[in-house]
Formats: sequence, C-alpha cells, structure tokens
Amino acid sequence: MVDISGKSRNIWVIVLSLVFAGVLAIVPIPLWLALWRPDWIALTLIYWVIALPHRIGMVAAWLVGLLVDVLEGTLLGLHAIVLMMSAYIALTLYQRLRMFTPLQQSLTILMLIGAGQLLIFWVQAATGQNTADNLAFVLSSMTSALLWPLVFVCLRFCRRSFNVG
Amino acid sequence: MFADSRFDFLGRVRYYIAIVVTPLHLMADLPSRTSDAFHNFFKTRTDLEDDNLRLQDEMLMLQFKLQKLDHLDAENQRLNELLKATYIIDDVAVRAQLLGESPDPFSKRVIINKGSNEGVFIGQPVIDAHGLMGQVVQVEPLTSWVLLITDPLHATPVQVNRNGLRAIAAGTSDILHQLMLENVSITADIQVGDELVTSGLDQRLPAGYPVGVVSSVKNDPGQSFANIKVTPSAQLDRSRNVLLLFSSAESKAARAAAKIEASGNALQPTPHVEGRQ
Repeated sequence: MVDISGKSRNIWVIVLSLVFAGVLAIVPIPLWLALWRPDWIALTLIYWVIALPHRIGMVAAWLVGLLVDVLEGTLLGLHAIVLMMSAYIALTLYQRLRMFTPLQQSLTILMLIGAGQLLIFWVQAATGQNTADNLAFVLSSMTSALLWPLVFVCLRFCRRSFNVG
Repeated sequence: MFADSRFDFLGRVRYYIAIVVTPLHLMADLPSRTSDAFHNFFKTRTDLEDDNLRLQDEMLMLQFKLQKLDHLDAENQRLNELLKATYIIDDVAVRAQLLGESPDPFSKRVIINKGSNEGVFIGQPVIDAHGLMGQVVQVEPLTSWVLLITDPLHATPVQVNRNGLRAIAAGTSDILHQLMLENVSITADIQVGDELVTSGLDQRLPAGYPVGVVSSVKNDPGQSFANIKVTPSAQLDRSRNVLLLFSSAESKAARAAAKIEASGNALQPTPHVEGRQ
C-alpha cells in the first residue's frame, strides 16, 4: 500500500493532470455550455487529496488556487482560499470518502464544489464583480458531481499505471 | 483577496505568476488554431480565387470611400482650426489576437496575445473591424485582459450619431452581449436603429468609434427613465483579430514600443500624423 515515509514517486503525473485540468478549464466553449462547465481543477485536486493525502494537502491546494486566479483573471487569492477549503474538507473526510459508493461520493462532491462556488459568488458579489441575480452558478457543481465517477476512474487508472505515490 | 481588490501591490505578484500560466492559454487556444491551419491548408484553388476576387472588390470599394474620407478629414481639421478646437487624432493601431475568454460565464472579459512587452497599458481602448470592443484592465508580460463594453462593470459614454444626444451605455449581467442606456428620460429623442458612437467625454476612450445600434426603446409610463437596449456593433463573440489603439496623448514610451513592432505589423491610417502635432 501507500508508503508514507518514502520519497515521492512520479509527482509529474499529478502536475500533468492539473495542467490538463487547467487547459480544460479555460478552453473556449459556447456561452450556453459555459454555465455547465465542470470545475475540472477542483475535481482533479480533490481526487489527489483523497488518493494521496500525505502528498497533496492544503499548501498544494493554495498554490494551485493562486495559479488558477491568474489563469482566469479573478481576484488573487479567491480560488486559492476556496480550493484550500475544499482540500481541508477532503482531508478530513478522505477515509470515509474512500469507502463511499460512487453515488455517495458524487453527492459529497456536489456539496464540496457547490460550497466553493457559493463562496466565489459571494466574494465576487461583495466586490461588485458579479451582478447575476440567479443561482445559475451552481449548475457547474452539478455537472462536476455527475462527471466525478469518470474523473475518479481515469485518475485512478493513471495513478495505478504510473505507480504515483 | 481583500488586498488585491483594494490595493495595488499584488499586481507585481500576479504579473510574474502570469509568466507561468501563459503557456496554458496558448495550449487551450491550440485546437482552434490547428483547425484554422488545416482549413487553410486544404482550401481549394477555386476557393482561393473566389476569395481573392471578393477581397479585391472590397478593397476597391474601401479605397473609393477612403478617398472621400481623406478629403472630409482635411476639411474637418480646417473647420476645427477655425473654431480653435483641438483635433483628436489616433495615430497607431496595433493588431492583436484573441487567445481566449474568461471561463466565468458571468464576466465578459477576453485575453489577447499582447502584453506589457508590446507596450500595452491599462485603460487602452480595444476595437475590432466594426466598433469598440472594450478596454484593457490587466496587463501581463505576454498577454492582457480586456473588459468588454457589455460587462456589467463597464460603462461607455456615448453620443447618438443622428442628433448628438449624450448618454451612458452600461453593460448588463445578461449572458448575451447587450448594452443599456442609463438614465435617459422618456422624452429623449432616441429611436430604434440610431447609431451610437463614443463621445470621448471620459477622456479615456477616443471619440467617434461606433459602439452600437439601438435595438429597442420601451417607455414605461410608471418609470421616470426609458428602457433602451443597444446591440453592440463590434462582433464581441466572434472577432478574433482586434486592434489596440495608441492615441496621440499616450506616453511616448508606449508608442516607441509599439513602433518597433509597427514596422511590419501596425496599421498607420494617417501617415502625416507626426507633422500635425
């Protein structure tokens, strides 16, 4: 199983998966679809937190969040704190999450990413950057939850075939 | 987060992190560029000939219009001199390409492939072939973010072309690209189809660039202001090639930077600009 004391193995797979998620997060798509765009980066990050909690934790989440902020041109630190929060919850829950059925996992992801979206929306509304008056922003967390089993299987395949630890 | 929204010093941090993430934008743009390249590569000869003919026709028409415009321009300048008014000239426009748009569907911002290395500065107006697109709000070394005129945070001072009536066109939180005229009284003379141009009263966007066309005017007797919707002239969701304007009032340094690159890339609509100042 996981060897906690040892050196990290094949960390580049994690970096590469996050880069891939970053590209998916900004690749241009039609407007009607943009509302449904899943939060690829949060999904990938949560997977790695659950799979390797001793490697990927809150510091990694904060760094990734900082990069996302620059990537998407949002307030510097917004995604950093949101992803850090998600990573914290995932860190406290990872032992239970590993036991859950895919449906239960998806529901947890819905809550996790939904809470993150809510926090982002709240901060953006407070700083006057988002004046939307509906809850359309939660659609993205729903597609994220629906796609979670797929992301999970793909990333687990990557982790096992490259023996990431 | 709070610091970024209120103070300026995190700008440098963002500036340097941007160097790391710029390749991601280029990667995300790759599929569309590859398909463009494929499309160009497999174009047939007849297609190219057709294009050539059409473009030559278009060029002829534009040159014909330009002849008249040169004359009008000179006349306008003479009249302005008679009135002792300052004549506003925009001298250099640098071409840039869209790299992507903000992934946040509520924010209407795009990222372009020119940054501070090319002399882009905050507040710089961006236009496309049809009208005003927006202004630069964030500059990074190789890229910069442009706030479109339809973003709810953006307001453009405009003027009705037909009668000179001034108003402010604000962006909307609508997902579609649309503008609203703010605080225009019910009795104001604005009709559907009126063209709006920038008035230049904000001293940031140059005057006279097309902003949009009035698409609907609703007068609700219960409201004190009319509800006027405007469709932007610029193809905000389609344009890939945009122009960055360096107006004559801008710093010499930015212009020098633009000039270096200008030799092959910039369009200089009025070659005699330098002599006029």
